[in-house]
Order: sequence, then structure tokens, then C-alpha cells
Amino acid sequence: MKEINELILPNDLFYTEAHEWAKTEKNSVKIGITDYAQDQLGDIVFVELPQVGDTFEKGSVFGSLESVKAVSEIYMPVSGKVTAINTALADSPELVNQDPYAAWIIEISPTDLSETDTLMKKDAYLKQLKG
Amino acid sequence: MTRVNKRNACVTDLNLIDYEEAWKFQSCLVTARHQGRLPLDVCLLLEHYPVMTLGKRGGRENLIVPERFLENRQIPLIQVERGGDITYHGPGQLVVYVISDLDEQKCDVTTFVSMLEETVIRTLKNYGVRGDRLPLNRGVFVSGQKIGSVGLALRKGVTFHGLSLNVNLSLEPFSWINPCGLKDIRMTTIQNEIKEDVQMAEVKQIIKSHLEDVFSLSLHDKTRDDLETIAGFSGIKTASAKNEAAHA
Repeated sequence: MKEINELILPNDLFYTEAHEWAKTEKNSVKIGITDYAQDQLGDIVFVELPQVGDTFEKGSVFGSLESVKAVSEIYMPVSGKVTAINTALADSPELVNQDPYAAWIIEISPTDLSETDTLMKKDAYLKQLKG
Repeated sequence: MTRVNKRNACVTDLNLIDYEEAWKFQSCLVTARHQGRLPLDVCLLLEHYPVMTLGKRGGRENLIVPERFLENRQIPLIQVERGGDITYHGPGQLVVYVISDLDEQKCDVTTFVSMLEETVIRTLKNYGVRGDRLPLNRGVFVSGQKIGSVGLALRKGVTFHGLSLNVNLSLEPFSWINPCGLKDIRMTTIQNEIKEDVQMAEVKQIIKSHLEDVFSLSLHDKTRDDLETIAGFSGIKTASAKNEAAHA
């Protein structure tokens, strides 16, 4: 696995304990998995995506990633309704390994943007990773 | 000699257990592990009553008999969240489920899968059987025939499901499927390879020592009741009782 100081962790993102990232844009939030998560999973061979229009509570499972014979659940950083899914991942799941921040998984319309207050910024996430 | 720091972990023998019962039990253990109520990793050793399971993406195309055929034999077909395709479990196959917090171990999934395979390979070596990895698929093979399989799921960084090793089971049910989605793959067992009776209890003891070495663990026996209390699991023992009657 990468050393912690080798991980790419952009400053402008929110992070979860389960290694998702969330990026707030005007009225939407893009969600993906962190460099740590993609590195831990290894070569991703399948991304299970929800459908546009699905709604999920913060912390609930919205999809999964499959790597070497292992399926890993992915969780909502904040509650909301899915407004877009990254369909490129259906044919090219490896994009998540190549650049986990460009390869967003879903975009949502958040129920309550203030829920991002409960998420971590880079420093707190780094502290968690260092355990 | 180099001393390696071994982590404490629990091991529990669930004996012969219904698939869904073990599945729910694992699920409770995973929750307890990531919530911190269960401070140690857990290895469960068991055999299942006959069952076919499909991995998350597995379709029925690799089941090559009608579902009715399985129903007539009272073999359930269950879709589960693990990786991999269709497989069969039954008495005479050792199953090891490992509930491990990968974040805590700073371990990646590929390494973890390789360690499960390594555990199988070392166990086979005790019987003079050479197990190999093949580029074709994950798992362990003996002269191109599959003897051990791996399939995992992760919830909040905690693994569940694990490995299966064919000890002395009848291989007929594998002829009803393309195991792991592989066409024309043949399966084998330790007993087939060495042409001698192999005792499950002995294989369990051997695999425990290899789990300790490969994963750097110091395994402590826990009773099922101990773990159920920690995990907040109230067993559905009726399912196993029903199976005992069905497969008597």
C-alpha cells in the first residue's frame, strides 16, 4: 500500500471515515472514493451504481466496488437525491484507480448541505489515516 | 530467529451450520467490529449444509441445471454480497470466514486475498500436495484443478466471507455449475489427491496454525456463545435443525 505521505488528498474536499470524498458545487455534491480507498481495494473491475432519482440517507449504502474477488460497499457522505451517475465507470471501472478524484461516482442534490459540517477536512482525515 | 509481533485474534469452530445462519452471524460480527464492540479480528471455521451461492455480480448463467433440480435436492441458491461468481458449499469442505479490520492492519485487499491463498497452499503442503496460483483466476489449484476458492466482502473496511478448501466432499454438485464462472474447470479435494482418508478435525488444526503464521496472529479459542454475546446475535438455530432433518 502507499505510504500515507504518498496519498493525494485535495484540500477542497470533505472526507468520511469510510474513505469517501464529497465536493460541494453550487447546488450539488459530487461523491467518490479517496486515494487511500482505491489503493486499498486494488484493481477495480466493477462499479455498481445507483439510479438517477434514487434517494439515500447520510451513511447508507449507495453502491459498491468490486476488486480482486472482493466487494466493498460505498456510503453516502450526506443525504440527498442522485442527479447524475458517472456512466463512464460502467465500461472503465479502472478510472477510479487512475484518478479517484476525477472519477466521481455520483452527483447528488443534497437534502441539507449543513450535513457537510459533520465531515472531515483534509487534516482530520489524515489524522484518522495515521491512526 | 526473528520474532514477529503477533496480534491477538479469536477463533471459533461453528461446526456444521446453515449458510444463512452463518451469514447473519458474520454480519453481526462485522458491525460489532467496526463499532468497536469487538476489539479483535475473528476467524470462523465451519462446514455448510449443501448450498449454492452466487457472488454479487453472479448471474444464473453459470448454473447449468434447472433451479428445480436444486429445489428437488433441497439445495438453496442464495445471492450474497461477496466477490466472485457461483460456488457450492457442502459437508466435507472447510470454510474459513475472516472478520478483519483492514484499516487497523494497514492491509490492502490484494495482499489479504494472497494471504488467504497462502494459508491454503501451506495447509496442502502438510499433506504433500502442491497448491498453485494460476493467472486464470484467484484461488488455489492442484495440477490445474481447483481445490480452494476465495471470495470477500468489505463493510467499512472490515472483511467478511473468506476461503473454502475442498477436504473430502463429493464433487458431484460442482458438475451442476461452472464454478467461479469458469467453464471446463475441474475441482478436486485433498482426499482425491492423496488417496487416503482425510479428517476434517485435523485439517482445522493445521489451517489454524497457518492462519497464525501467515496473518501473524495469536489465535484464542472462543465459544460461539461468547461471540454471540459480543456481537448481539441471537442465533436462528432452527435453520440448522431444519437442515439436519432435510439432509439426514
